[in-house]
Amino acid sequence: MTTGASMLLKKQLKEMESKDGTQGFSAGLSEDDDLFKWEVIIYGPPDTYFEGGFFKAELLFPQNYPNSPPKMRFVSEMWHPNIDKNGDVCISILHEPGDDKWGYEEASERWRPVHSIESILISVISMLSSPNDESPANVDAGKEWRDDYQGAFKRNVRRTVKKSQELL
Amino acid sequence: MGNCLTGHAADDLSLLHEEPDRVSERLGPPPPYQEAAPVYHLSPNQRRTVSQLTEEEQVKIAQRIGLIQHLPTGEYDGTKKARECVICMLDFQIGDALRYLPCMHTYHVKCIDDWLMRSFTCPSCMEPVDAALLSTYESR
Repeated sequence: MTTGASMLLKKQLKEMESKDGTQGFSAGLSEDDDLFKWEVIIYGPPDTYFEGGFFKAELLFPQNYPNSPPKMRFVSEMWHPNIDKNGDVCISILHEPGDDKWGYEEASERWRPVHSIESILISVISMLSSPNDESPANVDAGKEWRDDYQGAFKRNVRRTVKKSQELL
Repeated sequence: MGNCLTGHAADDLSLLHEEPDRVSERLGPPPPYQEAAPVYHLSPNQRRTVSQLTEEEQVKIAQRIGLIQHLPTGEYDGTKKARECVICMLDFQIGDALRYLPCMHTYHVKCIDDWLMRSFTCPSCMEPVDAALLSTYESR
């Protein structure tokens, strides 16, 4: 299984290297040349408060990838309802299929082995633009997003954008 | 979709109880994933070796293996429309062992069987595999 995972990651790395970043992110291995540990930069989507930000994150792949999803964690400070205060990204496509007896409850929204690194990152960018406020991982950010979008939420997000630019 | 799902668990069990001989017969030669380091994922966060499983869990795994074994397999001969296994992202090579799901999506046996033990759905179209299997039986 490990060889299968390495081959699949190597293949996606090669494809990623041939891209020019116009899709809103760049991705590659972290410095230590470990295929199971990637570093990605997400560009804050245009027409959102995240615009202009360069948010660094890491993707950690399990040995049984793609049967299990990677974990994604922002290294840059983030202010978003679905990213907890440690930077862990909480979206359904990074969750394994449920504990339900037959395994297909909400299967459509959860991890499937056909998801690529690209499709994960596209989902994360879409999450930045449209948070899911049903189960916020950062309750404070969720509350602000709902109640004070143009005030406190905007202020906090713009602060993280500025910080991400300084760290580049 | 919700309404369609309610009765399935019971239906599945009755299906298996009706033909216990067939299932155990199919289980005769151990499938590949039983041979090396059997670690089972009953549900995603429960990683167990075979000695840690309860009897009920072992039955559940055996039932799932039995259902997977009902799905048709074949060898890639280069004539089919599907050219790539979307799980490992590799092109099918002549002679590769393939498994065909009821929704007509095709994968390498070794790629899809691991997934089906975790979630009995087609990774491409999310069609629940057992529902499709059941409708096949009902139409007989």
